[in-house]
Amino acid sequence: MSEFLQAIAQGVLIGSTYGLLALGMGLLYGVSGVVNFSHGDFISLGMFLCLALYSALSLDPYVSVFITVPVMMVLGTLVFRFLIRPMIGHQFLMIVQLTLGLSLVLQNGILMVFGGQPARTPSVVESKLMILGEVVLRVPHVIAFGVSFALAIGLFIMLRSTDFGRSIRAVHQNAHAAALMGVDVGRVQVLTFALGIGILAIAAALLLPGTPIQPTQGLRYTIITLLVVVLGGMTNFVGIMLGGLVIGISEAFGTIYLSNTLGALMPYVIFVLIMLFRPQGLTWSSSR
Amino acid sequence: MLEIENLVAGYGGVEVLRDVSVKLSAGEIVGLLGANNAGKTTLINALSGMVAPMSGRILFEGRDVTRLTPRQRVELGIVQVPEGRLVFPEMSVRENLQLGGINARAKPNRSRQMEAVLDLFPRLKERLSQDAGTLSGGEQQMLAIGRGLMAEAKLLMLDEPSLGLSPLFVKYIFDIVDRLHAEGLTILLVEQNLMLTLRHAERCYVLERGQVAIEGPSDVIKDDPRTRSAYLGL
Amino acid sequence: MREEFYNTLSSPVWWGVLVLAALLPLVLSSYYLHIVILSLVYVALASSWNIVGGMAGQISLAHSLFIGIGAMLSSALLLKLGINMWLGLLISAAISGALGAIIAWIDFRFRLGHLSFVLITLAFAEMGGIIVEGWDFLGGASGLMLPRDTGNYLAFQFGGGHGAYWVMLALAAICVLINVAILNAPLGYYLRTIRDNEKAAQAIGVNILRYKIAAMVISAALASVVGTAYVRYMTFADPYLLISPVITIEIVLFATVGGLGRAYGPALGALLLVPLGEILRGKLGSTLPGLHYFIYGVVVIAVILLTPRGLLSYFELTWSHWRRR
Repeated sequence: MSEFLQAIAQGVLIGSTYGLLALGMGLLYGVSGVVNFSHGDFISLGMFLCLALYSALSLDPYVSVFITVPVMMVLGTLVFRFLIRPMIGHQFLMIVQLTLGLSLVLQNGILMVFGGQPARTPSVVESKLMILGEVVLRVPHVIAFGVSFALAIGLFIMLRSTDFGRSIRAVHQNAHAAALMGVDVGRVQVLTFALGIGILAIAAALLLPGTPIQPTQGLRYTIITLLVVVLGGMTNFVGIMLGGLVIGISEAFGTIYLSNTLGALMPYVIFVLIMLFRPQGLTWSSSR
Repeated sequence: MLEIENLVAGYGGVEVLRDVSVKLSAGEIVGLLGANNAGKTTLINALSGMVAPMSGRILFEGRDVTRLTPRQRVELGIVQVPEGRLVFPEMSVRENLQLGGINARAKPNRSRQMEAVLDLFPRLKERLSQDAGTLSGGEQQMLAIGRGLMAEAKLLMLDEPSLGLSPLFVKYIFDIVDRLHAEGLTILLVEQNLMLTLRHAERCYVLERGQVAIEGPSDVIKDDPRTRSAYLGL
Repeated sequence: MREEFYNTLSSPVWWGVLVLAALLPLVLSSYYLHIVILSLVYVALASSWNIVGGMAGQISLAHSLFIGIGAMLSSALLLKLGINMWLGLLISAAISGALGAIIAWIDFRFRLGHLSFVLITLAFAEMGGIIVEGWDFLGGASGLMLPRDTGNYLAFQFGGGHGAYWVMLALAAICVLINVAILNAPLGYYLRTIRDNEKAAQAIGVNILRYKIAAMVISAALASVVGTAYVRYMTFADPYLLISPVITIEIVLFATVGGLGRAYGPALGALLLVPLGEILRGKLGSTLPGLHYFIYGVVVIAVILLTPRGLLSYFELTWSHWRRR
């Protein structure tokens, strides 16, 4: 029984961060129709930047995040302006291939600078544990959960109550009409992308403590995010957060009850089952 | 107030408007007529900055606005109420209106403007929290016009406001149009409905195959046999 | 429309190119010959994927399964059961085709969206990979070593080097020809309507299920055949190479960059990018790890930014501009 609870707890904690990652991707897709297949490699970049800051300045990831977020957002803005924006409106698969090329560049850029050996970035809280009844929780995971949830709520409020959030939703629902109202669609797109990258940078710092990192892990994160986004109906806020939890929990169950390789299949299996029987995903009535 | 000089515009290299010249004075209500693919919506989209002209100029209040972005045009006061309403279906009536007033010029007065718009359309006031997608066609048209008014238009361009509406709603909408005109708003009215336009607009242009075929005061145009033939594409 | 196909078959340009290509082994060193053979393998694979991904618009990542079956199953059948590889080729192609049909049926029956389909086919591919790695019959994680290639055609051996080249050239040519044939036949027309607007196609009575299955079966079977030929050339059946989704990602890249849904697009993409990748790896692979892929990625990005509609469209436009001068 305690294994079961452990799996659920772990799944929920990690799943909330997966949901957060997927929100960034979903927002970008909503305003531009672009799916960024180098999503996971940006996470990777965020993690390695934290590692570099630790090696150079002994900064804990939870501190260096204040540096990595603006740096990554600037980088993201440049990438969007020069690589992605020229491609908007072109064939979807072509844009995907471009982001895959970007993935290669990021991944191997990291490889060239940091080498291929798995590395760890120590953090003050890394080995601390929190015990709730029968369940043992790692403090970094609890922090990840708290921050992810808070950020998700923040995003939700932003979308509902600010002009920027309303412009994002307007561009998603009808870009032409939004432009006619004076919304600068291009600016909304680049800001949404930068916002997504900023979220990735934060998530990277959250996922980092205690996790050995490698340059080639990007694809794994990209696929997980894709699974979550599609499960969530691409642009449905609640659906995506739910999808994150589902994937997180299936992954946790997989790794706790099955071997590592088979365990990694669990999210796929659950994904296939859900999408087969509910092709619209986990969308929650009114999609915002 | 508005001068379009020898505009040539189209999509993907294909010309839709060939050498169109139109003038509007402040406070006028001018109709733009023509058969289905005569180029009416293209002209309006060119005015809004959604279609880049291949040649020609657009002057607004003396300024050359030909190269300005859609956002800049809205900020100058050129506002379009698009064909088919195009309200944001999953946003509430209130949010749609708020979005209408998002441009820099209109934003400071947004709450006051919203009250004015809701006074004009009490039906919308009743449905403030309702998703725009659930409104009826007529209510959506009200919302679309209200949204356009939120932008503090100096020139309001209405693209086919009567499309798909019941006669009762059409009368209601056009009463509002008259009222706005009486309050001094400059209006460019694009309509398929010939009689309706001639009745409410002071002057009209008739577009045929991308060019201005006829122009003049409405009562003169009404009796011109060329109007009907241009209109029916004969 | 059949005319187009016969025109191609009887076109002197086609035969000229083929003859010239057939003469290549006589002038190339074995290193460069290997690169060309590899390019031809990918021409064949990308062209086969194009049928379902480019023409029908169904972006399937399951092709590593079909390639893997063609490679691993036929090898296993030969090594473990003594079944002649020609027969193994046919069996693998049939199984791949059947699998393809099942996947297409699932797509249709459960009305999957495009991205869902991508991820579900990826799921199948991953599951397939895990099954192969865990199943000793198929070689498990260590793969299978085929008997030495002594040029015995009856035993599906081509004598390495030149023989393998001509086989691959033939295969690549056949795959491209099949693309041409389909594009100019009613099947191609139906596939394109399905790709462009499935709902509309269904509304006018196109039998979506039949054509999706047809595209998938042809594509899968072809990929499987290429897989068998490829593994024979490599002599070693490496599961990490053959069943991994990486190969699928590469062929999708070649097909897209070259020109999705066009007959010669995927071939163009493969002929450009495979040699690029190999030469980069050869020259830079041992200097700084990751450098060659880094440059490869940069080149891919640059090519896409310069030719966003695909290489084939770009060349066609440049050609017509040049002719107008």
